[in-house]
Amino acid sequence: MRILALILQRIAWLVPTLAGLVAVVFFISRVIPADPVAKLAGETASRAQIELLREKLGLDRPLLVQLVDYYRQLLSGDLGTSLFTTRPVWDDLYARLPATIELTIVAMMIAVVIGIPLGVVSALYRNTIIDHVLRIITVAGLAVASFWLALVLQLYFAMDLGWLPLQARITGFPPPSITGFYIVDTLVEGNFTRFRNVVAHLTLPAFTLAFPALATVVRFTRAGVLETLQKNFVVYQRAMGIPSGLIVWKYVLRNSLISTVTQIGLLFGILLAGTVVIETVFQWPGIGAYAFEAILQSDYAAVMGFTVYAGVVFGIVNLVVDIGHAILDPRGTGA
Amino acid sequence: MRDRHNDILDLSRRDLMAYAGAAALTAGTALGSATPASAQAKTRFVFANESDYDTVDPHAAFDVGRVAIRLNIYDGLMRWQKNPAVLEPWVAESHTISPDGLVYTFKMRKGVKFHDGTEVKAQDVVYSLERILAVGKGAASLFKSMVAPGAAKAIDDYTVEFKLAKPSAIFLSIVPEIHIVNSALVKKNEKGGDHAEAWLSKNSAGSGAYKITQFDPAIGFVAERWPSHFKGWGPKWIDEIEFRAVKDTNTRVLGLIRGDFNGIGGYLQTDQLNRIKANPATQVLEAESMRVMMAQINTTRAPFNDVHVRRGINYAFDYDGFNKEILGGLVERNPTPLPNTIWGVPKDVKGYSFDIEKAKAEFAQAKVKLDKPIELAYLTGFQQSEQAAQLLQNGLTKAGVQSKVVGYPWPTIVERFKDPATTPDVSIYWISTYYADPHNWVGEMFSSSTAGTFKNASHYKNPKVDELLEKALRSTVQAERAKLYEEVTRIVVDEAAGLWIYNTKWYGPYSSKLKGIVFCPIGSAQEMRTAYYES
Repeated sequence: MRILALILQRIAWLVPTLAGLVAVVFFISRVIPADPVAKLAGETASRAQIELLREKLGLDRPLLVQLVDYYRQLLSGDLGTSLFTTRPVWDDLYARLPATIELTIVAMMIAVVIGIPLGVVSALYRNTIIDHVLRIITVAGLAVASFWLALVLQLYFAMDLGWLPLQARITGFPPPSITGFYIVDTLVEGNFTRFRNVVAHLTLPAFTLAFPALATVVRFTRAGVLETLQKNFVVYQRAMGIPSGLIVWKYVLRNSLISTVTQIGLLFGILLAGTVVIETVFQWPGIGAYAFEAILQSDYAAVMGFTVYAGVVFGIVNLVVDIGHAILDPRGTGA
Repeated sequence: MRDRHNDILDLSRRDLMAYAGAAALTAGTALGSATPASAQAKTRFVFANESDYDTVDPHAAFDVGRVAIRLNIYDGLMRWQKNPAVLEPWVAESHTISPDGLVYTFKMRKGVKFHDGTEVKAQDVVYSLERILAVGKGAASLFKSMVAPGAAKAIDDYTVEFKLAKPSAIFLSIVPEIHIVNSALVKKNEKGGDHAEAWLSKNSAGSGAYKITQFDPAIGFVAERWPSHFKGWGPKWIDEIEFRAVKDTNTRVLGLIRGDFNGIGGYLQTDQLNRIKANPATQVLEAESMRVMMAQINTTRAPFNDVHVRRGINYAFDYDGFNKEILGGLVERNPTPLPNTIWGVPKDVKGYSFDIEKAKAEFAQAKVKLDKPIELAYLTGFQQSEQAAQLLQNGLTKAGVQSKVVGYPWPTIVERFKDPATTPDVSIYWISTYYADPHNWVGEMFSSSTAGTFKNASHYKNPKVDELLEKALRSTVQAERAKLYEEVTRIVVDEAAGLWIYNTKWYGPYSSKLKGIVFCPIGSAQEMRTAYYES
């Protein structure tokens, strides 16, 4: 029950948080000295022509009126229409969301599946050669620029070895999709040739995206395990003769993961909303590249649409993290 | 994990089946084909573009980035072809201009078909111009300065007439931008008087040499050959073209070398071009283009309203250092606002050269002291623009003048240009070819009517220049117009109303087997109708 109450409470907070976020981004995007209408009207447009177009688009109205209008649109589920594509922003976002979500989920899976065991190993072999090597790798993971890593991986695995594709989500122009998630689509269709093609295309961008996240997961898991290993219950379990593998992977790990789960949640949100570099280098048709272009062009509706998306993602991720905490450590919620 | 070679084999097997079917379908319909279509395998061309194909509406854009849509999917009454660019009749067979230069009448070809098989008629041309004016994007601003809604009239099914508000010699130059849409189809998809903007942003309604089969705004578009295109086809062609956005330059270059792409766009660095040239599977085509890199000097405020200060700035730029050293000689020095290759260039004007002593002498003659740093603005994300600003800063420092280099994204700098008070002192960027007429450069850059636009960020105003430009617009005799533009060019160069650096050379990186690419400054060689693969 306490968990349900927690969920309801967080959802209730999400609404005013989003409304505030929308207002802040709305005003910021409009006060910066950039004029998308001038670009839309063309390089040869006179000032009178630009103002006419502004009037036609309703961008000449007071900002507050425009904001209230935008809230009204949002409440009816309408994210507005892009100035440049002239399509509903939701259509544009929807076309790109699966690509980003698929990439982020795979990257997070890589980071978690590899990162947590490595963090445990690093803690168990503290100050040994294994720990030092892992420390070098994780520090590199945090320090290396994504675009550089992406380029190096492209040059080695795609160009020199020819093992993996250089760019894109699939070979050739993508066929009509069922869900937009190519892994799911190919499995549903039972097309394993295409499934392998999709996985091959995912490998380099997912690993590039996962690398810094993996480093964070390793560092936090290591710190958590080291702290837990000092706890009295571990000494007691050892004294009781419980196998050390069972102590570490069942009892120690569970008690060590609270801060790691928080980090995983934050990382997931950051990755989901900020894959722009990876998407650009690997020509991944996702939301990051779309947001980047929208910001560059001051495409108001598109920028706001992305803001709402990022806000909702962070809200949901925080909620999941809170639920995760409640499950791992029920004391906080009294559950 | 399966390697990519196996993927390619698998695709080839699938494709072979498709090729056979497509070849059989096209065999009976290909026009002007010397080789039976069934004899050639289905060919595909993939182009990696540096910018997005966020819309396929031909009336929503007037840029190089999305020109492939306009040139391949749509037709116009006239079209710019070859290099130097020549205006050729396209869907029009001929045209006449009334003696007062106000009425343009076009006779259209019969039998030109839209992709749905219906015939292109004068009513479609009328609708297309009305739609351009109503939507107000792309080339609309150019048209609005010459024609009002209702200016186009279908005299009969194959004759269309345009009545101009005032004589304008450049009207013919922009007629190619009236991309003819299938009016019946577009009207059917209009919603609430939106001129089918949403629909046409992701669907096509053209008669061009290729017909869109797939479009994804996050990726690009695929189009198949339209065998019934009125221009007919040569003995060889490309069956399917795919234009996709690949924004990262390295990925485009690596993709071309690897064979993922058959052609790539964007301006490349010297080392990248050399790498492509050195690869036996790739080639780099070259042609002199019409894209002038220049600096606009804000002439409205002190000290830049002083001709000596502007001349001093012109003498402080190391033209050879930039063109030959930094850009490795990939460009041609262009000493005036007009590209070297167009008519109307005064051949006797040599322009300014890098001479610090002359710069110092000019600055010394200035009435107002240069007591605060000059703002040198460049376009964010355009490395050459930034490099040029830094080089100018270096020259100015040597001449004893302080300056600061500031980057602005495109929408921001356009906003600043509107007001002379917020326009940077010096702004470095390019003026490309929107139509191959001197008015595109010297006309729009120095007419007081365009002050505050992207083309006239110098806010230059000179009644004498206005008068000459007005005369040049009213005349329809090229020789007469050429003299007027020559005179204007002499004036603005003498007054150092800007700083002109180079005319771009076009470098087209392609697969070695690709032939038949025809470069035209308007379109950057992205019209694929004549392209084919060498067997």
